[in-house]
Amino acid sequence: MKNYILKSLIFLLVVSCSSSDVNSDNNQGTQNNSPWLIPINEVRDGGPGKDGIPSIDSPNFTNASEVNFLNDNDFVIGIVKNNEAKAYPHIVMDWHEITNDAIGSDFFTLNYCPLTGTAFAWESIANGNRSTFGVSGLLYNANLILYDRNTDSNWSQLQLECVNGQLIGNKPTLLNVVETNWKTWKSLYPNTKVLNTQTGFSRTYGTSPYGDYAVNNNRFIFTPSIINNALPNKDRVYCIIDEDKSKVYQFSDFTNGKVIKDSFNGKDYLIVGNENIINAFELTAEYQNTTFEYELNESEGSIFKDDSGNTWSIFGKVVSGSQTGNSLQNPKSVVSYWFAIAAFYPNPEIYAMP
Amino acid sequence: MCLKKLLLSIVLLYALDFDAQTCCSGGIPLSNNIGLPILEKGTLQFGVSYDYNNLNTLNNGTEKLDDNSRLRITHSVLVNTNYSISNNLSIEGLFTWINQRRNISQFGNENLDLSSGIGDAVLLFKYDATKWFSKIIGKNSSLQFGLGTKLPLGSSTETNNQGITLNADLQPGSNAWDAIYLSSFSSSFNFRPSLSFTLRVIYRSTGTNNSYFRNTTYKFGNEFQGFLSFSDQFSFLKTIANPSISFKYRDAQLDQIGGFDLDNTGGNWVFLIPDFSINLKPNITFSTKAELPIYSNVDGTQLTPTYRITTGLLFKIKPKPILPNLN
Repeated sequence: MKNYILKSLIFLLVVSCSSSDVNSDNNQGTQNNSPWLIPINEVRDGGPGKDGIPSIDSPNFTNASEVNFLNDNDFVIGIVKNNEAKAYPHIVMDWHEITNDAIGSDFFTLNYCPLTGTAFAWESIANGNRSTFGVSGLLYNANLILYDRNTDSNWSQLQLECVNGQLIGNKPTLLNVVETNWKTWKSLYPNTKVLNTQTGFSRTYGTSPYGDYAVNNNRFIFTPSIINNALPNKDRVYCIIDEDKSKVYQFSDFTNGKVIKDSFNGKDYLIVGNENIINAFELTAEYQNTTFEYELNESEGSIFKDDSGNTWSIFGKVVSGSQTGNSLQNPKSVVSYWFAIAAFYPNPEIYAMP
Repeated sequence: MCLKKLLLSIVLLYALDFDAQTCCSGGIPLSNNIGLPILEKGTLQFGVSYDYNNLNTLNNGTEKLDDNSRLRITHSVLVNTNYSISNNLSIEGLFTWINQRRNISQFGNENLDLSSGIGDAVLLFKYDATKWFSKIIGKNSSLQFGLGTKLPLGSSTETNNQGITLNADLQPGSNAWDAIYLSSFSSSFNFRPSLSFTLRVIYRSTGTNNSYFRNTTYKFGNEFQGFLSFSDQFSFLKTIANPSISFKYRDAQLDQIGGFDLDNTGGNWVFLIPDFSINLKPNITFSTKAELPIYSNVDGTQLTPTYRITTGLLFKIKPKPILPNLN
């Protein structure tokens, strides 16, 4: 009897040890040798896995006047489209990194990387068709790699390019966003809607999943390939990107509000903002001789004016004056931790006050 | 008398400095599975067991979050060998093969990352110090100490199918040497000598992987584990069966990356461990146990153990008896 039990147990032990799960998307089974545009040995497994950080695909919003889950200093990512303003708080995006959303019939993917402090919005298009994007669970230079759910291609957020998969080499079509604190945003756009915490996921919104990472200059969770000590690693800077070059502007240079005309990589720009918000515009020939001046007018949502009496929004649109409706074009730009810009766009120029 | 010993043991356990801690909850169950008894000089013990660790509970601190999309499973095959160098000293080795799986079920898709291979091992010396403390611990009691190291035999650079190196939590090995300290006290009750309790503490002081992702360092948190076990013995199917029930306290410090604490690692837990073993033959014991969390308090938000099952066989090879010379 005991011999029989013994043999049975040994058999069960062997069987249980050799059991394996079958899975629909096995990332270990067959080798996937599709090429990457970035060094694969610098791509990191972030830990949570693909979709382990879930995107928000059915966002819910609260009107600004009813928002009670934000402090004035909390950062938000703001977008205005079709005269509708929306804000996406960091305290929510820290846990999801991607919100697939729409304003009217315009679908876009708002993405934010908490480890590099960078936010973009781009059209939710992959392979010519509407697609949502998700968090791949991979990082490059500590920065988010998204994947599109149409083709499963991987997109480097801060490189602004599909770096692996069927759509390799494709570039997203960007929408202009700004990053600022809640107080500034709601003063400019009091009718804004705000992404709220009714995300469908159970998370501790308001508590950063990364502790003091955002303010500790010495701390990396994933160390980038290039470290540039020209500025503290976690300094938030505003950055204009042109091809593989970049120029950064420090918020401290805009204290109390400034309008700067500057040149970078052979192009002229107008950079406008204050210590809380900055945006840049391509300065076309039409406006080369125009004088611009910082003037915040919260009641009409303008932040600068020109010598013809037109007032302009932070998105570069004339909100009052003879040219109402005109607008300036935004270059590729982003607010970022300094180290990330220096890693993706080596040796950035740093704007120096004259 | 025995009750006094038990209370004394509990007080000693709580008086220990609890600032220690661990490796990730999903890793290789090394500390759980060391500490075979010291038997008669020359006795060789050989055990083989299978360990299944399921983590499907997402916690923030002690709060269970409504999210079961993440599943972390570790299958381990453990091979223990223990040789009694003398009646008081033994050397034990624990060798592992491990299969780690991270499965995400989200948005109608499932994504699996996994690694397999030889895991880290443990080498442990144990000494029975009962004779030195017999006046303190009394009769029918034993006191043992152990000192060992974790050997980084496992690979820490496994990649997924795209050639991307998996993170530390999914690697079979840690690429770090750890120091392991063990002490164990057990005593039987006067009113029922087959009924005994054991108090066992294990502290693991972890080393650092200095080549994590080639450009940084990774250190799993130091780990403390305390076990309080009650076991009895009775006759079953004409052989001897040993049921036991244990309470395990585990405290793990935060992991460190690049010398800084890594959020959402570490925590402390209390587990209930029912165990049943039976002697299939005089020299073969089958055992099976479950490990069920009854208290989980993780640092930050992280997966926490849902349950663990371990089952295996232990073989004992005793030295041939020395026959008296009748000439």
